[in-house]
Amino acid sequence: MQTALRYAAVSVGYDRTPVLTDVDLDLRPGQRLALVGPNGAGKSTLIKSVLGLAPILAGQASVLGADPAAARGRAGYVPQTDTLDADFPVSVRQVVMMGRYRRIGWWRPARAADRRAVAEALERVGLADRAGHRFGTLSGGQRQRVLLARAIAAEPRLLLLDEPFNGVDAVSQEAIVAVLRQLSAEGAALVLSTHDLGVARDLADLVCLINGRQWAVGPPAGTLTADKLRMTYGGHAVDLPDGRMMLVEP
Amino acid sequence: MIEPFTLPFMGRALIEIVLLALICGPVSVFVYARRLAFVSDALTHTVFPGVVIGFVAGGLDGLFVGALVAGLLTAVVLTVLTRGNRVSDDAATAVVLTAMFSVGVVLVSRRTSYTSDLTAFLFGRLLTVTPRQIAETAVVAVVVLVALLIGARALLFRTFDPAGSAAAGFRVGWLDLWLNVVVALVVVAAVRAVGTILVVALLIVPAAAARMVTDRLVAMAVIGTLLIAGAGCAGLLASWTASLHYGVALTSASSIVLLLVAVYLLLIPVRLLRTRRGGPPVPERNSAHELVG
Repeated sequence: MQTALRYAAVSVGYDRTPVLTDVDLDLRPGQRLALVGPNGAGKSTLIKSVLGLAPILAGQASVLGADPAAARGRAGYVPQTDTLDADFPVSVRQVVMMGRYRRIGWWRPARAADRRAVAEALERVGLADRAGHRFGTLSGGQRQRVLLARAIAAEPRLLLLDEPFNGVDAVSQEAIVAVLRQLSAEGAALVLSTHDLGVARDLADLVCLINGRQWAVGPPAGTLTADKLRMTYGGHAVDLPDGRMMLVEP
Repeated sequence: MIEPFTLPFMGRALIEIVLLALICGPVSVFVYARRLAFVSDALTHTVFPGVVIGFVAGGLDGLFVGALVAGLLTAVVLTVLTRGNRVSDDAATAVVLTAMFSVGVVLVSRRTSYTSDLTAFLFGRLLTVTPRQIAETAVVAVVVLVALLIGARALLFRTFDPAGSAAAGFRVGWLDLWLNVVVALVVVAAVRAVGTILVVALLIVPAAAARMVTDRLVAMAVIGTLLIAGAGCAGLLASWTASLHYGVALTSASSIVLLLVAVYLLLIPVRLLRTRRGGPPVPERNSAHELVG
């Protein structure tokens, strides 16, 4: 079986300055990988490198069997909702249709297959009744689900999600988790960055701890341990008297 | 009402402003959505030295070519300067704007008919539009509309979500150049009729006013187009009536812009009413702290 994503001793960054080094990943179709680390750890940069939007400075990288730059446009991407303008005059349906733009081409009108894919994607995230609403009138969690629907409409074999649970209500979080499980059951490989260690443990097959470099990778049980988290988070891990640990974002 | 437009010069002025409405309406939607108001303003100023050089070299006919060269050059320079946010968009744009405008003023001040030329370049001469100018505007209008039609989807995606569109495989840098060139072409087409200062109003006010009454991009383009055409017609009539019946010299281009702004102001309460009825809810935020067992 072809790997969806393989990184070997990869460094990524901007302007020849590495943000993240020593990344080794091997993600097969249907697997879910959680990127865990503090703010500024390099999670977004790692995701952007897979999308071909941040340069690979060293090491070997393969995305869907090709060089990341060559695979550009083939991997799906779900950005954080709060990076988008809530006042933008665009409907939910139009946002999801953006996932089909590459297939439709520059000037051809959308076909029945495209409209069907959009309707199905909205159905899957439970927002079929909101298709005609303006994107900005939805709640943060609903907007995140719309962006997930947009990615689904593109039918990617590899899907990258940047903090999909940030600012998301419990209902939307459940809906997103359920859809992500379905997608991987259908064979899509998923990469998501998250602050939520509970979600990482419950949802991911693999957890990658990063902060400037990769500190650990493997199944949640072996990676989300107090020792490894303390190592990754450095001074931002605080031991509590009751034996638990608190991670404080800088 | 129709009678003044039976006069050839008034008829030509009306055709010119309707042609400009057809392109300014749709383009203003992208200028609004991409928040390119300042870039458009810069383009109108940087076209100015091109207009002067073109006029000095080839008279009224050279003016169009001069504006075209300056407009396209600025579109490229602004796209490169603001690429990857290496320089802040505003700073880079302001530097190009002031530098080019100063060049224009230096050039125009060397001419003997300095003030009358300057007035024409800055405020336009809608009532002296020639059939050749109308033909040139029509050609530019076709090019602009075709370019918008081809690029509309990609431009919309890039405007709404730059990172998402880049991840989907669109070349954001080229799309930015595409839109900047389209805006430059509109400026070039409009500059002789309404002047370098007022053309920016046609690129900003229509979409901003239309946004007050609709949430849909296509509706914004249509309403914007109708607004310019309506204000154009009314503005020409106003300046005609003022000068003929009251002996007041009212520039037609400024009447049109003032009418557009008046419509914008009148629509503000509509917007307030609409947002009060159904504003977007405030998104919930998670705590930055996480507890682990």
